[in-house]
Amino acid sequence: MTTNIPAIDQHAAPTGGSTNYLNNTSGFWSWASTLDHKRIGLMYLVGTTLAFLAGGLFALLVRVHLWEPDGMLFDNPTYNQVFTLHGAFMVFLFVIPAIPGSLGNMVLPLMLGAKDVALPRLNLLSFYLWLTGAVLATLAIILGGFDTGWTFYAPYSLYTQKAVVTIGLAVFVLGFSSIFTGLNFIVTVHKLRAPGLTWFRMPLFVWALYATSILQVLATPVLGITVLLVAFERLYQVGIFDPRLGGDPVLFEHFFWFYSHPAVYIMVLPAFGIISELVSVHSRKPLFGYKLIAFSSLAIAVISFLVWGHHMFTSGQSTFAMFAFSFLTFFVAIPTAIKEFSWVATIWKGSIALNAPMLYTLAFLIIFAIGGLTGVILGSLSVNIHMHDTYFVVAHFHYVMMGSIALAFFAGLHHWWPKMFGVMYDETIAKIACGIIFVGFNATFLPQFIMGSRGMPRRYATYVPDFQVFHQASTVGAVILGVGIALMVYCFVVSLFQGKKAMVNQWGGVTLDWLTPTPPPLENFHEAPVVTTEVYDYSTLDLSTTRTPIA
Amino acid sequence: MFVLSIQDPQNAGPAPQPQVDAYGQLSKLASTFHDVDGLFYFTYAVCIFFFVLILGVLLFSVVKYRRKTEDQPAASNVTHNTPLEVVWTVIPLIIVMVMFAWGYKGADQMVDVPKEAARNAYKAMAKQWSWTFTYPDGSVSYGDVWVEKDKPVQFYLQSSDVLHAFYVPSMRVKRDVIPGRMQTVWFQPTEEGIYHLFCAEYCGNDHSKMYARVHVVSSAEFKKRPWDDFDDSTPELAAKSGESLYSRNCAVCHSVDGTPLVGPSWKGLFVKGEGDTIVGAKRTVIEGGATKEITVDDAYVLESVRTPAQKLVATHPNGGMSSFGPELIDDRRVKAIVTYMKSLASK
Ligand code: HEC
Ligand SMILES: [Cu+2]
Ligand SMILES: [Cu+2]
Repeated sequence: MTTNIPAIDQHAAPTGGSTNYLNNTSGFWSWASTLDHKRIGLMYLVGTTLAFLAGGLFALLVRVHLWEPDGMLFDNPTYNQVFTLHGAFMVFLFVIPAIPGSLGNMVLPLMLGAKDVALPRLNLLSFYLWLTGAVLATLAIILGGFDTGWTFYAPYSLYTQKAVVTIGLAVFVLGFSSIFTGLNFIVTVHKLRAPGLTWFRMPLFVWALYATSILQVLATPVLGITVLLVAFERLYQVGIFDPRLGGDPVLFEHFFWFYSHPAVYIMVLPAFGIISELVSVHSRKPLFGYKLIAFSSLAIAVISFLVWGHHMFTSGQSTFAMFAFSFLTFFVAIPTAIKEFSWVATIWKGSIALNAPMLYTLAFLIIFAIGGLTGVILGSLSVNIHMHDTYFVVAHFHYVMMGSIALAFFAGLHHWWPKMFGVMYDETIAKIACGIIFVGFNATFLPQFIMGSRGMPRRYATYVPDFQVFHQASTVGAVILGVGIALMVYCFVVSLFQGKKAMVNQWGGVTLDWLTPTPPPLENFHEAPVVTTEVYDYSTLDLSTTRTPIA
Repeated sequence: MFVLSIQDPQNAGPAPQPQVDAYGQLSKLASTFHDVDGLFYFTYAVCIFFFVLILGVLLFSVVKYRRKTEDQPAASNVTHNTPLEVVWTVIPLIIVMVMFAWGYKGADQMVDVPKEAARNAYKAMAKQWSWTFTYPDGSVSYGDVWVEKDKPVQFYLQSSDVLHAFYVPSMRVKRDVIPGRMQTVWFQPTEEGIYHLFCAEYCGNDHSKMYARVHVVSSAEFKKRPWDDFDDSTPELAAKSGESLYSRNCAVCHSVDGTPLVGPSWKGLFVKGEGDTIVGAKRTVIEGGATKEITVDDAYVLESVRTPAQKLVATHPNGGMSSFGPELIDDRRVKAIVTYMKSLASK
């Protein structure tokens, strides 16, 4: 997709390439009160990355503790807090908000040819709500921590003497942050597409964010209400979930998963979007099965509302419920498989650049294949009953959450980094970091599949010695993974100070985000773009822009 | 030995062997739910097939179509191929429907409790962080449970506090234990051995120590009631066994320190007499409406256990104790309780 108007000179910013969104104003307040989607995106990037590093630190503590069957570092109650912190930080502060908040904010308006999102003030509010949630979550740690697991299952969450109300409040506030981002993106996609940018000319990252936004708006309120009810139950003993008061703990599970299954797709769809972009750009080939991928995002969004019961196959649900939930769960497998096949088919006969973003993309494709296929194993009812709440499940969702979503996030970061900052990181270091992360990740989680299928339950501070060798392998893997991530962060940070100038169009993308000056100016485009070509049409690419450094 | 502290190991036997099946993937199967394993390995094979396919195409493409010169265009600009897309939609659909049906069949079998299992019903009581098992004959064991090989068994699961889950990997069964609800599982153990029983639903501090062992034994061995730790070979052991019978069956109503509960305290039921002899105290009882004075002895205790209403203690004219027949506590055990009572005697 390119434009036919000369204002979009593929060769950089016509008016003094030096003022851009990073330097047009300065000072703390210019950032804290900014309405610019790119600055808000950057603030999200910093915030969610810090949350990710904190969550990762908790994960390392968990892994080191499990080196010995008796546990190495903590007593059981402390261990329970640490794994809960890991889960809660990763899910609520990182995986859900990271891609839409940072890369989504940064790129969505660019891809649409818009000056900003439709509701810039609401966008800033979303960020501040995220920040409030993060502060509350940290406060909850200071107020005694919480040991419920990120799932807050009743009635334990009602009885434990910990800061459950505070973390519940954090989740509630974070929920609103997510809802507002979703609303904003929906309106933006509907209202601010550039002339000529029809629905089927939209880049797939936009489609993915659109489908995600629908889920965020429709599903998150249920989570909000559920955590509020838990807080009420704790404060006033109402009797909703507490069996001693006539409540029903299984009802909590229904409410919780009614949100948290769609939440899986709130997390993973943006990752799919990133991968769709990157596969195309770095293979310099139109996406294979564009429409099918776009529709499968929507299909996943719809079906994902109807499968929550697959988290509750052992709760004693009726055979009819088992039948329906398992059937529908297998149905989600189809659009997901279609995506994977389409990505692979895009790479097939492409012009494949093995740069850092592409290496992360390839790592994603391999890891996501494992994550998705093991999901099929878990979808089978009788097998699920054996695997439920074991490390098999832990490994499966880490293949999806960490291995797929976080890796897609890293891929996207490497991809849009030169766009965001106008500098390139050292690609050799970036590739090495990618390799270490890939090895470390698999070393961490492959052994968990094995111990899980042999019956190792999750959330165990101590374990029977049968499982020790797998735990140790997993711990070694986690340390390698940690080293890889540290190297990646180092590589990014160094590039900000010593990075070479990026190219005008670093990777040769043809979506509108690559046709603005780099880094983009305050309102993105010097003149409103008009789209006349189909999406991912690389015949329009001016190859010299990939070799010309920015001014 | 075992790193898990077992709450009340009645028979601290050998630790379970590492329990791995022949393929080294799943835990060893020791029940009749082979469908789980069949479906698992089928799905596993399908997964490996698709994984290798994807990996193969990826690696091949990366090697073959790698961008060698910067301006190299794609070798093809194909954007879709309808037959191919139909194929990769329909084939996975068929495969997952097979998995679905097979999985449902297996799960249905687990839910459908057969009559033989229902006739052999145990109770498993879960509380933070231990398991208590009640056998069909009413006897009780903690931390370990014995079942008969080849005999289908059903467990009723109850929780007295939070969520737990009853998980015996080798039997392929798992069921959440939910306070306020009666849950149930059944299985038919097919191989003798000792198997892990884990709590699989997070339940607080010592969740990971909520561990028990399932002993599958032959019916000959089962008849010996190995969970029963009763031993009256010496007076000391008899008193100890008596104490444990007391704490399980009588302590709710009888204290041994004088505290008034539903029934009279056993303090002072026997006292030290001349020298080191132990003699029964005097009791005023109501028998058939008439009040009379008796001396406590073995026969009186036995009678109180079997037919409590025969002689009611005068302080408790309304009774309130239900009788324990010999199927619950046989005469030898009552004797052991008496031995325990006597060991409490003081001046
Ligand atoms: C449900 C409460 C309850 C349980 C359980 C119970 N008892 Fe009693 N028991 C009583 C009451 C009430 C009395 C007084 C009325 C009577 O004599 O029947 C009593 C009386 C007795 C007496 C006569 C005491 C005396 O002071 O003369 C004996 C002996 C006795 N019980 C033994 C036992 C033994 C042994 C067990 C356990 C196997 C047991 N009881 C379990 C309620 C209970
Ligand atoms: Cu789910
Ligand atoms: Cu537990």
